[in-house]
Amino acid sequence: MSYLDLSISELHEALVAKKVTPLELAQEALARAKADNNNAFELILEDEALAFASTLTEPEADNPFWGIPFVAKDNFSTKGIETTASSNVLKGYVPLFDAAVIERLKAKKAVLIAKATMDELAMGGTGTTGHKGITYNPWDPKHTRLCGGSSCGSAVSVAANIVPFSLGSDTGDSVRKPASLNGLVGMKPTWGRISRYGLFPFAPSLDHVAYFTRSVKDSALALNLLAGRDERDATSSLRPVEAYESSLEEGVKGKKFAVIKEIIDSTSDKEVLAKFNASLEALKKEGAEVEIVSFGERLLESIYATYFVISCAEATSNDANLDGIKFGPYYGGKSYQEVMMNARTKGFSKLIKRRFVIGSFSLMAENQDELFRRAQRARSLIVSRTNEILADFDYIYVPAAPSVAREFGATSDKLSNEYLIADNHLALGNFAGLPSITVPLFLENGLPVGVNLMGRAFEEKSLFQGARAIEKITGLENLSAVNKKEGTL
Amino acid sequence: MKEISLEVLQDAAHRLMFELSDEELKTLYEEFQTLKKQMETIGKIEGVDEAEPMTFPFACENSFLREDVAETPLDRDEALKNAGNVQDGQIKLPKVVG
Repeated sequence: MSYLDLSISELHEALVAKKVTPLELAQEALARAKADNNNAFELILEDEALAFASTLTEPEADNPFWGIPFVAKDNFSTKGIETTASSNVLKGYVPLFDAAVIERLKAKKAVLIAKATMDELAMGGTGTTGHKGITYNPWDPKHTRLCGGSSCGSAVSVAANIVPFSLGSDTGDSVRKPASLNGLVGMKPTWGRISRYGLFPFAPSLDHVAYFTRSVKDSALALNLLAGRDERDATSSLRPVEAYESSLEEGVKGKKFAVIKEIIDSTSDKEVLAKFNASLEALKKEGAEVEIVSFGERLLESIYATYFVISCAEATSNDANLDGIKFGPYYGGKSYQEVMMNARTKGFSKLIKRRFVIGSFSLMAENQDELFRRAQRARSLIVSRTNEILADFDYIYVPAAPSVAREFGATSDKLSNEYLIADNHLALGNFAGLPSITVPLFLENGLPVGVNLMGRAFEEKSLFQGARAIEKITGLENLSAVNKKEGTL
Repeated sequence: MKEISLEVLQDAAHRLMFELSDEELKTLYEEFQTLKKQMETIGKIEGVDEAEPMTFPFACENSFLREDVAETPLDRDEALKNAGNVQDGQIKLPKVVG
């Protein structure tokens, strides 16, 4: 047993009691990071982490993040530390400032030990497209299964007990899906709840700061720290921050859960459905009201295309500044156009180029109404239906993924409802900007599957309360690839 | 909608300031065949063309301006730190005119 196998709350008690020091924790986290064989890291920050941890000598009893080691996805700006978003186009780029969330964690004396690998520029959901190659799922030592992405290295860091907390970003499901595949708690709060200042933009109307922990309580404690107004992000909310952990143990008596019929109907894994149904029965026993609700198949099956068109179009525009002139490798050329062409041709991977072309195609004057504008209209209808359901229910509750992590090379019918609906519905939370959390449900042949709970905007406190009830039902608090458990469902 | 062809896709790539190899173009063209079918799901939504386009999840709550205080957020040396081709305190690029 190592201290790093504990939750943040447990670690905090040990730190305050001086059973362990931040320096010892950082040393152990760094040793584990260096021993990682899942390709989780862009950069391990040994000197910086040890220097900072060694200054932390007087425990702060009221600060749960004091001395806690953490990892950040490599699309968060870190002052003086190379940050590439796992793309060759940003090789060598060293930000001049810290992202708002990095600042907040530093101010609370959490210790950044590494920058994590990701799908290139956060565009991708497999953990296979970063410039350092495939990131592997720590639950599968044979390295045959996807880790999921785009926040793959951040997921590995927490699932392999290297740190108890990591920062990710979530534009479609990039924290909440890998949370399902890695047995973690993955939280994406309301759009605007956490400042995105210093997060490399992918699709700003959908981008969220999100994060991984191994317990719902830790997730609530993290939001206490990360949430709040930041004048440098004009989209950050003015609403006051709550004590998000304050109603965790209040249960779900009288709370109303909507289960989306079409998501269940498009999930074919019988074990997933059986365990999900068992969780519904357990919730009812706790006094919750559960109802199967039809969302509308046409709306749900269009989520994937709507997401793809909007996100690729926004990315095309956002990433126009990656020109090899102001930052990133400079390859020269006879004209400034050639300088840019060289930097972008050499810097972007095949997948990124394809996504950009799709975005550009949907923005062409001839196509804009039929593709981009229409996707924005579809988004509006999908969001209206989501909010309509949440006007009558406290939560929308569904499996976070249709199965355990898939094997590399496994193919799926990209026009099937299992793909279009069951595998891609988490983008609903991004379309509507609603708070959404994934928690582990059960293990199928030793591999985790999660469920997702989504609530009303800015009602994170209630969301954590519901998620904690599910965590108690499953018995999978503080699950990881190291802390293996059977669960109670 | 514009007909999808290898030329149209290469044109899109050039507008984006990068080249696609023949192999990349072919893969993209094939990908578009599936993508077109996926995009058709949007058109099947009843009333989609009458809905208002949604650009952000919520209206932003900001209705004020910050104080107009002069500051120097970045000095020149810092601004040039990440540029690959710098000369005499400026980013150097090939001649544009003449």
